[in-house]
Amino acid sequence: MRVTVKLFAFFRDGRFKEEGREYSTGTVVGDIVDELGIGRDEVGVVMINSLQRSLQSPIADGDVVAIFPMIGGG
Amino acid sequence: MDRLDDFIRQRAAASTIALIDAREAAATFGRTLPEVEEQALLLDIMPLRYRRNGLGCREQLRLLRARVAVIGCGGLGGSVAAQLARIGIGRLRLVDPDCFEEHNLNRQQFATVASLSRPKTETARTVIRSINPAVIVEAIVRPFSEADIEAVDIVLDGLDDAGKRLELAAYCNKLSRPLVHGAVREWHGQTGIATSRNRLMATLYPNVREGSASKPPVNVLAPTVTLIAAIQAAETCKLILGLDSPLKRSWMLCDLLEDVFEHIPA
Repeated sequence: MRVTVKLFAFFRDGRFKEEGREYSTGTVVGDIVDELGIGRDEVGVVMINSLQRSLQSPIADGDVVAIFPMIGGG
Repeated sequence: MDRLDDFIRQRAAASTIALIDAREAAATFGRTLPEVEEQALLLDIMPLRYRRNGLGCREQLRLLRARVAVIGCGGLGGSVAAQLARIGIGRLRLVDPDCFEEHNLNRQQFATVASLSRPKTETARTVIRSINPAVIVEAIVRPFSEADIEAVDIVLDGLDDAGKRLELAAYCNKLSRPLVHGAVREWHGQTGIATSRNRLMATLYPNVREGSASKPPVNVLAPTVTLIAAIQAAETCKLILGLDSPLKRSWMLCDLLEDVFEHIPA
């Protein structure tokens, strides 16, 4: 299935801003994060089709998945 | 009070009163400078320092009577505190257990070579007094507690640790205090207003546990800190003045590499 993945802030470094990608049925957001080499503990907000979801949320064909980093400095 | 009122009216020029006259009034009538400035505003006379804020005396009076806690007085907290003092927030409670270290010099408002090894909040209080002596500043050198939140109307997030932010948000939720959030990393920052309704902190830090072990400090640039702190200061004033803000309904991600500001529904 085809999914649009959007990355934000420093997650774009060496990766991409937005990309259409192929995934198999049963893929969850955490699998995408792993595939992109992002540490799960680095992830903040995750959205599917503009609604907040979690790393455990399954994705479906045509979904837009947005992955935001956790920003914690002060 | 009548004699103080007469003095203020007599010294007022073009509906403003200068600092030197306000100080003389305080000394003459045994009042504090904040008390004199409050009385002037009640008489529709603006302390000269605030004239260029462009606010009315009633609005300025609301700022003067506000009590704000700045939790964490490093990058974000220091910059926010300086801005709030300039705009005329009457009471600032600065809370931070730390002293300045050399690696703070790249971005922290009150970090100077002379202030290294000195408590951040006490240094901030000294500088703020030189900026605006009419602001009452409490410098607290210890980790924040529930009492710090209870003592104020609005809380500013100047922390650098997600677990501590959740702890702070829990106090704010319990005591129904709005928490003006800010966080930064490299060229990126985020900001928003956390309330007991939107549970913003749980949204932003879904994979963090309250009070969890601190992560190593992240890299932060001064422009990112200044930008996010400026938004936090503006949002604080808007809350005090009763002005609406998109950040009550969304949080904002700021990207200084792309110069993009995105609102994301809270």
